[in-house]
Amino acid sequence: MASIITATTTSGLTQSADNSGVLQLASGTGNLVTVPSVTGTAMVSGNMPAFSAYMSADQTPTANTWTKVTFNTEEYDTASYFDATTNYRFTPLIAGYYQINCMLSAQPGANTNDIGLYKNGSLFKFQRVLGASNFIELVINYIMYFNGTTDYAEMYFRSNTNAGYINGTSTYSTFSGCLLRTA
Amino acid sequence: MTLYEKIKTIYSSLTDADFDTVITLQNDSDGKGDYIAKWEHPTLPRPTDEELA
Repeated sequence: MASIITATTTSGLTQSADNSGVLQLASGTGNLVTVPSVTGTAMVSGNMPAFSAYMSADQTPTANTWTKVTFNTEEYDTASYFDATTNYRFTPLIAGYYQINCMLSAQPGANTNDIGLYKNGSLFKFQRVLGASNFIELVINYIMYFNGTTDYAEMYFRSNTNAGYINGTSTYSTFSGCLLRTA
Repeated sequence: MTLYEKIKTIYSSLTDADFDTVITLQNDSDGKGDYIAKWEHPTLPRPTDEELA
């Protein structure tokens, strides 16, 4: 049971009410959405921010130096929260928990190859792959909380030699994310 | 010569492990180049700007 507000094709808005304490919204006939009984912003498929970016060229960091990866080309950025021009960072303006993904292809790999997820300018999570082979694939995935105002995420890379570089194509190195749930 | 190479020239005893723990070099890809983000070495003092010039 529920109280229902419906947008009809003949009578404008109609409503039916009961004492269930549950509110549902409907467009036309059927297609009911139940409004959650929690405080927050209702998000539905279609308005939850998502982005994906890659590097337009290879990047060559210096040895033993955490270097921000310059993801300067967007594949998509539904809410324009990713800065692919200046800071190469994701700053969502909706508070919540975001799935953050990054994969980097380093060539050739060094003895130590690190990928770092930075939050607000500081190392937050990192993964290391050992071994100098032709290609090193670095991946980091994490569900990260953002406060919706000032929190931001960036990706950094570090290896222990000068020889390597990061492959700058959409195929090999990407940074992506999307909102899983609001705060 | 990179910042890392300059520091290694000043302190040849430093190892990769030092740069993994007590020393952090960073580059924010903002055109300002590499810099020392953290220097917490227990015995060696942070190099001066003059030494790194």
